[in-house]
Amino acid sequence: MSANTGRHFDSVAVGESLGPHEIVIEKPRARAFAAACGMDSGRFHDDEAARAEGLPGMIIPGNFSLGLLSKLVTDWLGAGPGRLTRIGTTYRAIVLPERRLTLHGFVTHIEREARSVEIDVWIENEEAERLVIGTASVAFPPTD
Amino acid sequence: MATIIDLHSHSEASDDSRAPVGAYLNWIKLRRAERPLDGIVLTEHRQYNRAADYRALEDQFDVMVLRASEVETDYGHMLVFGVNDDILRRFDFSNVRLPAQEVIDGVAELGGVVVPCHPGRPTVGLCEHYETKPPLENVTAVELLNGGSRKGENERAAALVDRYGYRAIGGSDSHMVSLIGLCATRFDADVRTIDELVRELKSGRYEPVDFRPNRPRPRRAAPEMAGT
Repeated sequence: MSANTGRHFDSVAVGESLGPHEIVIEKPRARAFAAACGMDSGRFHDDEAARAEGLPGMIIPGNFSLGLLSKLVTDWLGAGPGRLTRIGTTYRAIVLPERRLTLHGFVTHIEREARSVEIDVWIENEEAERLVIGTASVAFPPTD
Repeated sequence: MATIIDLHSHSEASDDSRAPVGAYLNWIKLRRAERPLDGIVLTEHRQYNRAADYRALEDQFDVMVLRASEVETDYGHMLVFGVNDDILRRFDFSNVRLPAQEVIDGVAELGGVVVPCHPGRPTVGLCEHYETKPPLENVTAVELLNGGSRKGENERAAALVDRYGYRAIGGSDSHMVSLIGLCATRFDADVRTIDELVRELKSGRYEPVDFRPNRPRPRRAAPEMAGT
């Protein structure tokens, strides 16, 4: 994901796309995230432990997915004055490491008076299934 | 004149959606080339949004907004079209274990129509309930195409339609602005009111339509030509 120099409120338009960005989360990275968060469950660290729970293999923690989508938004904002004020996600399917994931977003609504922007965000797998969906809110200061 | 309507969507009036109705309509206006909708039906969870008035938004964006409900029954979730005071008096839409057969028959008797939605979805879809309970009677149609379905769910719905001969509708089940209209229903007739919608759902003159960019393609008999 390439950084930008900063997005300003007046340049944002409904329909504008965030991404798509492709990403593969390797197992060591997923384990490191889980460990840093104190998530000790075997499903986040070990394929065998995950399979014992009926999963196809170790999975990426939900908060990691949330973080990826947050980063999609903050990268889009860049160094500008806007800030991510809220993000909410629904986990519709497990997210597996070592698979190609695609992060998507669309600006869907702009409140001119409040200088706020609503964004749809989601993570797709290679079969275009939406694994994690959500919405984010971005606020801009009175003048930027 | 044909009418294309997304028969299943949730606005911020539902507890699990943050989509304002105006944003849905603006999105449809922006994406009309890809999703040529004439209207949407708001099917809020476990409620009928009786007080809502979307006429100004309809005029602003030239998109029809009709209202219905998604209720929860002992056979899974179902869309109720043509909700009126008599229906609301007879059934408590906040009850998450409504008796499906009574709802189907009672709503029909009182002028509406019930359509089981996302039948292929685990727990809340008709297919799973049919594995352990007798099939429902007087089912007018089921939602064959649901824009929120996961892999395999619409295929299970297709098998259900084939087996029982149900008519089929489509709806996005959108809870997010950008997903509105991904699946919809094309009616042969002009539909402008909820009464006309109920009449046409009973008539059978409609088919589900799929506007998903990565929708499953029908198998082709011949190889695709270069450049197509």
